[in-house]
Amino acid sequence: MHAHKILYLLDNLEKYICQALLGFFAVVLFAQISLRALFSIVLPWSEEISRFAFVWFVFLGASYASRLSAHNRVTLQFKLFRSEAVGKCCMLLSDLIWVFFNIVMIKESFKVIGNLKAFSFHSPALGWNMAYVYYIFPISFTLMTIRILQVNYIKFFLKQEIVDVDKVNPEDYKQMAEELSDSGRT
Amino acid sequence: MSATAILFGVFALLLLIGSPITLALGAASLAAFFYIGQDLSTLVTIAFNSVNSFPIMALPAFVLAGSLMDCAGVSKRLIRVAEAMVGKINGGLAITTTLACVFFGAISGSGPATTAAVGMLMIPAMIKRGYDKGYAASTTATSGGIGIIIPPSIPMVIYGVTAQESITKMFIAGVIPGLLIAAGLIIVHMIRCRNKDYSSDMEPLSIKKLYKAIREGFWAILAPVIILGGIYTGIFTPTEAAIVAIFYILFIGTLVYREITIKGLLKSLETTSWLTGRVLLIMFTAFAFGRLLVQYRIPDLIAQAMLNFSTDVHVIWGLVVLFLLFIGMFMETLAIIMIVTPVLLPVMTHLGVDPIHFGTILVCCCGVGFSTPPLGENMFIASGIADVTLEEISYKALPFCGITIGAIALMVIFPDIVLWLPRVMGY
Repeated sequence: MHAHKILYLLDNLEKYICQALLGFFAVVLFAQISLRALFSIVLPWSEEISRFAFVWFVFLGASYASRLSAHNRVTLQFKLFRSEAVGKCCMLLSDLIWVFFNIVMIKESFKVIGNLKAFSFHSPALGWNMAYVYYIFPISFTLMTIRILQVNYIKFFLKQEIVDVDKVNPEDYKQMAEELSDSGRT
Repeated sequence: MSATAILFGVFALLLLIGSPITLALGAASLAAFFYIGQDLSTLVTIAFNSVNSFPIMALPAFVLAGSLMDCAGVSKRLIRVAEAMVGKINGGLAITTTLACVFFGAISGSGPATTAAVGMLMIPAMIKRGYDKGYAASTTATSGGIGIIIPPSIPMVIYGVTAQESITKMFIAGVIPGLLIAAGLIIVHMIRCRNKDYSSDMEPLSIKKLYKAIREGFWAILAPVIILGGIYTGIFTPTEAAIVAIFYILFIGTLVYREITIKGLLKSLETTSWLTGRVLLIMFTAFAFGRLLVQYRIPDLIAQAMLNFSTDVHVIWGLVVLFLLFIGMFMETLAIIMIVTPVLLPVMTHLGVDPIHFGTILVCCCGVGFSTPPLGENMFIASGIADVTLEEISYKALPFCGITIGAIALMVIFPDIVLWLPRVMGY
């Protein structure tokens, strides 16, 4: 039971962090705007910290999108073939190239982080060492690699369908439509 | 073999084997960087710089605001106002649908979201009054495209960032084109429904009913007023306006309408997370790709080739619009904008076209792409709601796409339709 829960948490890890980061920078920016408009107080650090939170949010969100298999592909050309196998094999191949791309990115980001540490670059407002901000790249590209492999494992070994997140489910809007037609017309 | 050949070759090959668009751009840039011996760590710096910017934060903020509007009960009140504005005329409900999309577009920046929210209510209502199923679905799918032309608009944010143009100026430029296309669609509805008995039991336009709808929807109507008013008067940047909108919608959703739930809020945060991650990962790789294009002067070469073909700017515009409509059939809107802008914008400015003019036409063409097969996001949604085939919707949508393309042609020939409003407002 416990192990199950931990696995569930890990499966949704990026989602939780992203929700927290998004909430965080939205609140910080709102505080900045309100303080400026109401009391003419200008916070020197608020924009920078929200921008850094945003960068982390984007690249963790990209990993979350990989888990959902949501990255847009052009798949129309596969309809030319009778069997689905062609498309499946091609996309598996492309995912392997993706893993290779990510490994290059991980290696290169450690190089950049090393340079930033050696020359100790600091952010202008917060005075943070930029190397720590750049740690998002090895983290997110590693997570993305894991997610790509996980999705292919689910597809080919567990033989489960990955739900298409772009498909809007009309049921989600059903309640809204019912409320409107109940109360609106006489 | 040149670096350019590698760049385009890898890109085309990867797209063909169905790789994500972001990887096709990224791996092509990686291969080209490797070939010319540039330090590969440039990619990491590009990744950081491409998203470390305040204006792009408008993207998640507008996505979140649009998503929250549904669960806060703002959307349905806006639709009701649109309903009360249309009286007993030919094609009344179809016109209501178009108007509702215009209103909805003034808060949400997304086409499919507009189609889903408006369609779920209006498609069943139209079918009940005797409209043909395919007609009802294609009405909603085509009107939903207006959502990205009426500001605020997510594609315009992406264009502004990619082209380094003012997002505020884009938001002003989109107003008249959006209304023009809506007017075109309304006229087509009036003509196509003139001999049909669709509106016999509709109530005539009544001031009392309109007043009631506006009073009930007052707080909802205030949302677009705050967003657009704040941006146009210069009080807020687009990013700030979107943040203010989020908290305004949260405020009326919890205290006035009391419809927002924790579950709805978390769901909105979740959708915004993967959507932003997906789009801005493309932003990063498209930046790297665009940099190589500029380095190898590709836009200059394309401009030269086009000028050899014809020196008439209208002919070139015609080719560009046809090309945009064509790729709009296959590719996702934001990806199109990020890939096409660095290639075509320098070409068009070279020919003396205003960047804001080009951006608006680009976004309008993408709006048509929502309802052209095989990849038309709005059609997928409308077909799900109305239970008709994609073929039927795309066939019935042809006159609507035609009038939209006609409006685009007008904007191409008369740039002032786009540029007049930003000019008089002092931008």
